[in-house]
Amino acid sequence: MSEIATTSSWRPRSAWAGFAKPGRQGRAGAEPGVILDLREGIGLATIILADGQDEALARALSERFGFAPPAPGAAAFASGRGLVWAGPGQWLAVAPSRADLAGFGEALAGLAAVTDQSDSRAVVRVSGPQARTALSKGVGVDLHPRAFRAGSAAGTGISHIVAQIWQLDDAPTYELAVPRSFAGSFWGWLTESAAEYGCEVRGLPR
Amino acid sequence: MSTLTLKRAETQAPLARSDNPAQPFRVAGGLVDRTRPLSFRFDGRALTGFPGDTLASALLANGVRLVGRSFKYHRPRGILSAGSEEPNAIVELRTGARREPNTRATVAELYDGLEASSQNRWPSLAFDALGVNALAAPIFAAGFYYKTFMWPAAFWEKLYEPMIRRAAGLGRAANAPDPDHYDRMFAHCDVLVIGGGPAGLSAALAAGRMGARVILVDEDSRPGGRLLAERREIDGRPAADWAAQALAELASMPEVRILPRTTLFGVYDHGSYGAVERVSDHLAVPPAHTPRQRLWRIAAKRAVLAAGAIERPHVFGGNDRPGVMLAGAVRTYLNRFGVLPGKRIAVLTSSDDGWRTAADVLAAGGTVAAVIDTRPSVPAELRRPVEAAGGRVLTGSFVSGTKGHLALSAIEVSDASGRFDQIACDCLAMANGWNPIVHLDSHLSRRPVWREDIHAFVPGTLPSGMTAAGSAAGDFALADCLSGGARAGQEAAATCGFDGAAAPAPQTDPESVSHTPLWRAPRTKGKAFADFQNDVAVSDIELAHREGFRAVELLKRYTTLGMATDQGKTSNLAGLSIMAELTGQPIPSVGTTVFRPPYTPIAIGAFAGHHRGKEFRATRHVPSHAWAEENGCVFVETGLWLRPAYFPRKGEADWMESVNREVDTVRAKVGVCDVTTLGKVDIQGKDALAFIERVTANPFGTLAIGKARYAILLREDGFVLDDGTVARMSDSHYVMTCSTANAARVMQHLEYARQWLWPELDVQIVSISEQWAQYAVAGPRARDTLKGVIDPGFDISNEAFPFLACADVTVGGGIPARLFRISFSGELAYEIAVPAAYGDAAWRAIMAAGTPYGITAYGSEALSVMRIEKGHAAGAEINGQTTARDIGLGGMLAKKKDYVGRLMKERAALTDPQRPILVGFKPVDASQRLRAGSHFLGVGETPSLAADQGYLTSVAYSPSLKSWIGIGLIRGGTERHGERVRAYDPVRGGDVEVEICSPVFVDPKEEKLRV
Amino acid sequence: MRIRCPYCGERDNGEFTYLGDAGGARPDGMGTDAAAMHDYVYLRDNRAGVHRELWYHGAGCRSWLVVTRDTRTHEISDVTSAREAGLARRNSGTTSGEAA
Repeated sequence: MSEIATTSSWRPRSAWAGFAKPGRQGRAGAEPGVILDLREGIGLATIILADGQDEALARALSERFGFAPPAPGAAAFASGRGLVWAGPGQWLAVAPSRADLAGFGEALAGLAAVTDQSDSRAVVRVSGPQARTALSKGVGVDLHPRAFRAGSAAGTGISHIVAQIWQLDDAPTYELAVPRSFAGSFWGWLTESAAEYGCEVRGLPR
Repeated sequence: MSTLTLKRAETQAPLARSDNPAQPFRVAGGLVDRTRPLSFRFDGRALTGFPGDTLASALLANGVRLVGRSFKYHRPRGILSAGSEEPNAIVELRTGARREPNTRATVAELYDGLEASSQNRWPSLAFDALGVNALAAPIFAAGFYYKTFMWPAAFWEKLYEPMIRRAAGLGRAANAPDPDHYDRMFAHCDVLVIGGGPAGLSAALAAGRMGARVILVDEDSRPGGRLLAERREIDGRPAADWAAQALAELASMPEVRILPRTTLFGVYDHGSYGAVERVSDHLAVPPAHTPRQRLWRIAAKRAVLAAGAIERPHVFGGNDRPGVMLAGAVRTYLNRFGVLPGKRIAVLTSSDDGWRTAADVLAAGGTVAAVIDTRPSVPAELRRPVEAAGGRVLTGSFVSGTKGHLALSAIEVSDASGRFDQIACDCLAMANGWNPIVHLDSHLSRRPVWREDIHAFVPGTLPSGMTAAGSAAGDFALADCLSGGARAGQEAAATCGFDGAAAPAPQTDPESVSHTPLWRAPRTKGKAFADFQNDVAVSDIELAHREGFRAVELLKRYTTLGMATDQGKTSNLAGLSIMAELTGQPIPSVGTTVFRPPYTPIAIGAFAGHHRGKEFRATRHVPSHAWAEENGCVFVETGLWLRPAYFPRKGEADWMESVNREVDTVRAKVGVCDVTTLGKVDIQGKDALAFIERVTANPFGTLAIGKARYAILLREDGFVLDDGTVARMSDSHYVMTCSTANAARVMQHLEYARQWLWPELDVQIVSISEQWAQYAVAGPRARDTLKGVIDPGFDISNEAFPFLACADVTVGGGIPARLFRISFSGELAYEIAVPAAYGDAAWRAIMAAGTPYGITAYGSEALSVMRIEKGHAAGAEINGQTTARDIGLGGMLAKKKDYVGRLMKERAALTDPQRPILVGFKPVDASQRLRAGSHFLGVGETPSLAADQGYLTSVAYSPSLKSWIGIGLIRGGTERHGERVRAYDPVRGGDVEVEICSPVFVDPKEEKLRV
Repeated sequence: MRIRCPYCGERDNGEFTYLGDAGGARPDGMGTDAAAMHDYVYLRDNRAGVHRELWYHGAGCRSWLVVTRDTRTHEISDVTSAREAGLARRNSGTTSGEAA
C-alpha cells in the first residue's frame, strides 16, 4: 500500500502532525538528554492466538520472523521486524512498513486472528542519556536495568493514556506506542517531561 | 555530592561572640557559608543571613524573635523548633503569583532576595488590633464555633464566617495562577530509608554496601538529622563529619539514590509510598525547565523507618511567649547554624538531655542564666559546669509563668514547697523528652503503643515490609541509632536477596538519656498551651473534660487539639497526658488519634503535576481535526474527545443558523460528519457468532456476509448498556460499533464476557477504534459523492449495495476501506472507514467529491438534531435506567437465545405497562421552545411528585418541521399519541403545552434511506 | 495498593478496575428461572475477610483477574487469570465459582 500511496494524491498524515516539531526543545546545552525519533509509516498488527493453536502459531511465527513469539513481558526484534507481547496469547507485530504485513492474516488463518493496526498507534523512539529518567515521570513500570532490559515489553498507563513500551537495546533505547487520537496529549507530557534534560526531536511528521 | 562535604569550624572549643553588627546573635561555628552573605526581607525589614541558613535561623541571628500571631487569640509567637514540626513560626513566603501562605520559617531555606511576611496580624506584627481577642478569651474557649455562632442561621454566611476568616485567617493565597510547573516521578527500590539521620544513614550504608537498590529520603536540605545539630563524636570525629562521609560513600554507590529536600508524606498499601521533593523551593525562581516540586511515587520491597523523634514542650503559663524554645532546637541553632538564640539562656528540663543544651551554650561562650530541673536531684557532673559558669541550678522546680511584652524577658520558677523566684532571661530552652515520629507507620490504620520506660508512644505493628530504627523506634541514644539503623538496613537488604554482614557499629562518646517527664506544671499563671498552632490551652482541655468530650477523637474535634497544618506534632501527647490525668487513666488508655497522610502539608500543584489547565485530562483528536480547524470549526468536548460541533460560515448569525443550514443541506443535498469517535471492535474466531449472540439482545444468526444490523447490548440486570451495529465482513469476522460515550465500557464488558462468562468460546476480540477513521456521508447525493471517492470497480448502486449492506472497498487507488450503508440521520447514508492515517486525505477527498452537489461538513449538533428528528435513542435515553422496551426497541429482542440481560429484563417492574416509554413531543404553539429535563404533568394539574408522568430527554429545533421538537419518556406513551400534556420546568421557568406524537418526526415510512 | 498481575507483574492499582465478588458462575439463561438469575445478579458476599474478587487490568494486558484479598488488611494472597479460573470451573463441571 505504501507504494500506492506515493502514486496517489492521498497522502498519509502522521499521527504526530500538528503536535511534534523537529529540533531542540527544553534546556539548551551541548548534548540533549533525550532524543525523540518519530516513527512513521511502520506496519503494526495485533495477533491473537486461536484456542489450542499455541504450537502451530509459534511455528508459523518462527518461520516468518526467525524467532518464537515472546513470553509475557517480552519483545523480540530482528532486522527491524518484531513481536511485542501485548496480553495473554496476544502480540503486536511491528514491521518497517505496512506493506510488510500484507497477507499476514491469510498466512495465519485458523491459528490466530490478525488485525491491521498500522494506523492505530502513534509510535516514538526514545533514547539519550536521560531517556530512562524522563520516561520514569510517567511510566510506573520499573525501568531499572535489573528489572527491564533490551527485549522487555510492558503495557501500562502513561499520563492517563494506555500505552505499550518496549526496549530495543541497552543504551537504553525504547519505543512507545499510544493510541493515535491521544498523540497530542501524549506528546505534551513527553516533551514536558524531557524538557528538564534538553530534548532533540528528529524525523519530520508528514 | 562534593558540595555536601562539610566545612566545620573547631566547634569543640569555646567560641567567641561574633562582632557582626548585622547579625548580633551569630556566633562562630556551624555549617553555614559565611563567605557569601544573603539579603532578605522580613515584613519589609532588610536583613542578612548566610547560605545554609533557614529563614528561622537567619531571623534568630538578627535578633528577630517575634515572627507571628497566633491563630485564635493573636498572641505574639516566635520560633519554637528547628524542624517541620514548627507550630508557631508560620509565614508567608514570596510575593505576587508565587506568594505562598502558611510556610514554616524553620524549614524555609534562605536564598538571596527572599521576602517573607508575618501572618495573621493587622495592621502590624508588633501592634495587632485583633490582639483584643485575647481579652475576649472566654468566648473563644473550646467549642466556641459551635456555641457562639449558632443563631441566626443567616448570619453564618454573611457575618460570622467572614469575620472568623479575617480574625483567624491563615495567610493569603496568591491570586494569580501558579507560574511554576510541578513534576511527578515513579521510583522503585529494594530498600527505602525514611530519614537521613544517624539511623537512616547507617541503614542506607548497610543496604547499599550489599548492593541493594536504596532510596534515602530526607526532608532537610542536608541529610544528617541530629548529627548536624549535636556536639557529639563518632569514632573520635565530629558527628557532622561522620554524616558527610557517610553521604559521600552513599553518593558513590550507583544503586543508591539520595533525595534531600524530600518529605515522605504517606505510606500506602503493598509497599507504596508518596514523597514530595522541593526541587526549587530554595531558589527565588526555579531555573528554566526545572520543576518547582516533584511528587515521587515509590514502590519499595522493604522500608526502614528512621524518621527520628520530635521533642516535647513543657506545659506552663505563658509557654508560648517568643523566646521559649525546644532545647534541642536551641542546640540546632547553635551547633548547625552558629546562632545563639539568646543573651541569657535558661533551661527547663526533665531529662539529662536538657543539660546538654546548657553545656553547648557554655561551650559556645554563651550565658546560662539557670537550669531548672523538674526532678528532685541531678548528678553532680551535670550541675558542676553550669554552677562553675555562674548559672543557677534549681532542682525539683518548674516554670510557672513567663514575663515580657512581645518576647521573653523573665521566667517565674516555683517548687513543690511554694517557693517562688523570678529569673531574667531572653530564651528558655525546654527539654521534656522526645516522641518518636509514629505518624508514618500509623498511616495504614495502625496505632502506636505506649512504652512506659521511655514515656512515649512507639510504632506498634508495623506495615508489612517496614522496620523502625533509631529514635523513631524509641532508641534515643546515638550509639543505638547507629547500630539499630545498620541492623535494619542489613536485614532489609538480606530479605531482598542480597548478601553481606553489617560493618561493626561506630563508637560514640558516652551519653545519658535518663528522663522523668512532667506533663504540666502543677501550678501556673496565665494560659498554658498544649497546642500552640491551634491555641488550645490546658483550660480548654479541662472544659472538654467537664463537658464530657473525653474520648481522644472527641477531644480533638471539640478543642481542635492536634488539627491544623502541624497535625499536633508537638501537642498531641501534651493534650493526651492532661486528659489522662483529668480522667485518672494511664496515657495508653486514652490512646492517640488516627494519623493520616500527608505528614506535612503538600501543595495541590505537586499532586496535579503536568495535569493542569488544558492538560488536566487527555484530549483525543478526530482524524478530520486539521481540516476542521482550517475551516473555522467550533469544537465541543465530549468525554475526552474534542469533536466538531458545527462549522459556521460567513454571515451566519449564531450557532443555530449554522446547525440549521447543516441539517437542511444534509436533508436536501449531502453532508459529511466525522464519526470516528464511535467504538469499533474486531471480532474473529470460530465462535465469533456464538459470542455475539450472547452479548447482544437481538438475533444475529441470520446475518449474512456483507450485511450490517443494529445491535442492542443489555446489562445482566436487564437495562440497556449501549447500542450500535454489528457487520459481518466474512464467515467468522465481524465488526461491532458502539457509542462514543460507552466505547471503553463496552470493550471491558466484551472482555468480561469472553474471559469470565464464556471462557470456552474460541473468539478473538480487539479494539480497532483507533485504526479506522470513519465518516458518515448522508443525504440524497451521498451515493453520488462517494462514487467520486471509492476506486472504480465497486458497484454501490442501490441494487448492488442496498440499505444495511457492508463491504471491503478501496479508495485513493488501492487503500483498503470499509463501506457500511447505515443511517443515523434517516437519509440515504453511508459510513466509510479508512485507515486513520488516510483520514485527513479521505475527508478532503469527500469534500472535493461532494462540492458539485453542495456538500456541507456537519458536526455533532446537526447530528443530534437529525437523530432527534428520527427518534433515535442516544445517551440521554440510554442512561442506565431504561430498558429496550422503554426506548421503543422491545419488539427487536430475541426470544430463542440466551444473552446477557435476557431474564432480568422480564421482571415485573420492568415490563409494567405504566412504565414511561419513549415517544415524541411537539409544542402546541410552534413558536415555543422546549427544554430537556422538563417533567410531564397533566394539563391544569398542580405540580407534585405524584402527578409526575415522565420527562423530556432530548430536544432540538427542527429546521425540517420549523418547530422545537423533543423525545422523552412518559407513562403509557405509545397509546397516547395526540394527547396534550405540560412540559413543566420550574427551574428555568418553563411551562409549555405539548402534544404527544410518534418519536419519528421525519420520513416515518423510512423511504429516504432505502432509495 | 499494588496488584501482582500474573502476566505483567506488580502494578499500581490505578491500572486496574474493580468489579466485585468473583462468586457464582452465570446460570444459563435458557435453562434457569428468574429467581436463580436474580440471585446471581444481586446476591453478593461482602466479606470482612478473605474475598475473591474480579479486577480488570485495563491499562495493561486487558486480562480479567481473580484477586484473593483480605478486605480488612488489603493483603493479597493470590492473583490468577479469570479465564483460566473460568475454564477450570467449566472442566470441573461445577456451576459455582467456589471451586475455581
